[in-house]
Amino acid sequence: MSLKNVELKNRQLIWFSIIAAFMIISVALNILIGSVPISLSELYQIIMKHETASTKGFIIWNIRMSRALAAVFGGAFLAVSGLLLQVFFRNPIVGPFILGISSGATLMVSFVMLTTATMGFTLLSPFMTTLSAFVGAYGTMLIILSIATRVKSGITLLIVGLMMGYLCHAVTSVLVAFAEKEKIKGFVLWQLGSFSGFQWNEIQVMVVVGGIILVLVYGLSKPLNAFLLGEEYASSMGVNIRLFRILILLCACSLAGMVTAVAGPVAFIGLAVPHMARLCFNTSNNRVLVPGCLLMGGVITSLCDFIARMAFTPVELPISAITAFFGAPIVLSLLLKRKVSI
Amino acid sequence: MNQSQPVLQVDKLSVGYQDKVVLQELTFQIEKGEFVSLLGPNGAGKTTLLRTLSRHLTPLTGTVYINQTDLKTMAQGHLARTMSVVLTEKVSPPFFRVLDFVALGRYPYTGFLGKLSPTDDKVVMAAIEMVHAMDLLFRDINTLSDGERQKILIARALAQEPQIILLDEPTMHLDLKHRMEVMTILQSLCRDKGISVVASLHDVDIAAKISDKVGLIKDARIIAWGEPENILRAKTVAALYDFEGAAFNRFLGSIEFRGNGTNGTVFVVAGMGSAAILYRLLSKRGFSIVTGVLHKNDLDFFVADSLGADCLTQSPMEVITPETVQKAKKRITEAACVIDTGFTLGDLNHENLDLLKAAMEMGKPLFSMRKDFNFSQLAPSSQDILFSCEDEARLVTMLEEWLRETSR
Repeated sequence: MSLKNVELKNRQLIWFSIIAAFMIISVALNILIGSVPISLSELYQIIMKHETASTKGFIIWNIRMSRALAAVFGGAFLAVSGLLLQVFFRNPIVGPFILGISSGATLMVSFVMLTTATMGFTLLSPFMTTLSAFVGAYGTMLIILSIATRVKSGITLLIVGLMMGYLCHAVTSVLVAFAEKEKIKGFVLWQLGSFSGFQWNEIQVMVVVGGIILVLVYGLSKPLNAFLLGEEYASSMGVNIRLFRILILLCACSLAGMVTAVAGPVAFIGLAVPHMARLCFNTSNNRVLVPGCLLMGGVITSLCDFIARMAFTPVELPISAITAFFGAPIVLSLLLKRKVSI
Repeated sequence: MNQSQPVLQVDKLSVGYQDKVVLQELTFQIEKGEFVSLLGPNGAGKTTLLRTLSRHLTPLTGTVYINQTDLKTMAQGHLARTMSVVLTEKVSPPFFRVLDFVALGRYPYTGFLGKLSPTDDKVVMAAIEMVHAMDLLFRDINTLSDGERQKILIARALAQEPQIILLDEPTMHLDLKHRMEVMTILQSLCRDKGISVVASLHDVDIAAKISDKVGLIKDARIIAWGEPENILRAKTVAALYDFEGAAFNRFLGSIEFRGNGTNGTVFVVAGMGSAAILYRLLSKRGFSIVTGVLHKNDLDFFVADSLGADCLTQSPMEVITPETVQKAKKRITEAACVIDTGFTLGDLNHENLDLLKAAMEMGKPLFSMRKDFNFSQLAPSSQDILFSCEDEARLVTMLEEWLRETSR
């Protein structure tokens, strides 16, 4: 009798291959297709020769490729972040922004975009938006972490996060009420997220810092599995709850914060992908789900970004519209079928 | 290894929450392989005590020692290899086979990524075998019944290879079969594996029969600690739960429910264990029971006494004395009717036959389950007030009918 679940292992391998294949396809689609058509052979030339001088070379290197990669990394980070928080709170409807990360970022961005208090900056640069979103997201994270060391249960922390979100929204909405009309559209569009305009140095930061965090997350998959039984069982099995709680929150919030800072709050990926991964890989084992969510989040966000770009060209749809449009029905049907619960 | 050292020792412990002391001045110890049941009403603090022993709560004062080491100073991994828990919280993460779920219990033994070694696999299988769940091996835990899930939770706790297992109400929500099975499993853990088991329970009768020690918890302290054979007496149990209308009998090892006794008084002539079932039925239907004459070592006496019946008794091995018979006859005159359980007649209880005769002569209706007996030899003219019945249920039905007829 074999104790190892060979059938499941094979199924998971198949899914990993399928997702990897889709990953290549969707990244290729994102690079090849757009308002300026580029053929495969041209792409090969441009990449091999590292050609940035020509128009097509510029489009490939500085617009499409950075955007395609940003979508993959952004989606991957959000999905892993969502998985971490869903396991941590043992709650299926939790996403990466449940603790107020996006609300904090939105608040800071609204300060910069909607008020005249641009602190001496006469020109509203994309850099300012990124910086303020970064400050907002990580400021919220620090507050959450400092509270996390004090509260006893995860549920309390969840409520604290929700309340922080409401507070930030309240301030933001006051700012919106007083803002000039023309500024509001820009702000609303920022709130819906976009992977356009990614700089290569931003992607470098995402890869390096994100990579380190992801390695840490994979290392956490053992205590994460113990956590499926709840805090009390986990601690009785030897999980250091306090340390673990801080690590989980740190990883989840910094992954989500990183994406939010550059792309704005991209909705639904972090909530929906972990559920899809659980169903595809047919497991709750986080040693499989962490890489699974990573790949799946990347693929799905990449495809959504493609749709967002191409559906109504030349108008570009906000990425959150696409993710929610596809994500909401999926989550809804999964939960109604009660196939997944944490 | 020093066998005489207790596995778990509690010294002047008080447990509770920041602003509320739940239990105080607790001092007890638990030996290797001992089965300890914690009994007490809901909210008495059984769970709080267990949570303190498992270090989910810190003691307010006092110390818990595990193998002579202060619980506070124990490394978490070491503690996880010494003690495991089964909690009341319902856990059922999706997509988990029983096998993989039990394997979670290997947490303190596996490496950084939690990969299972062949030894781990062996321990997991042994744990599942221990709880008789080999047939569930590949089932999804979400498809298990409550009873099956409880066995799997115990197997998971066993996979930690602990010396102590703490269980919070392990038989809650279980059907009778699984309740018995779980208790038997726990008992065999103590006997065969030398694991000390501490469980909070609600079934006093089961606890009395299975545990080596019981701790009775009430009014913020342990009111008694020791062998159930010594401790669980009718009065202690009644005080523990503030019983009214029920009583624990240590000889029967069970709880008897008292009726309200508003349906009138019946006199039951009984003995030799012939009336135990009838008493319960009469009591359930609300009759007030007077019975006799019983020897004090008779099963009938234990049941009747627990049910709160008025018993006319004789010391064991003595012939029933004329005084007792006189008393009994007096009580018969006050009763609405007399029941004869068909008890076996012998040298020591022959006088009970006189009671039946006296009852018939008094004109009291007699309901009898006696077979092959000619009552006319007792009282020739009283056939119309004699009712023969086959069993207890029919007897009580007839009795109720007769009461309705006569009251009309």
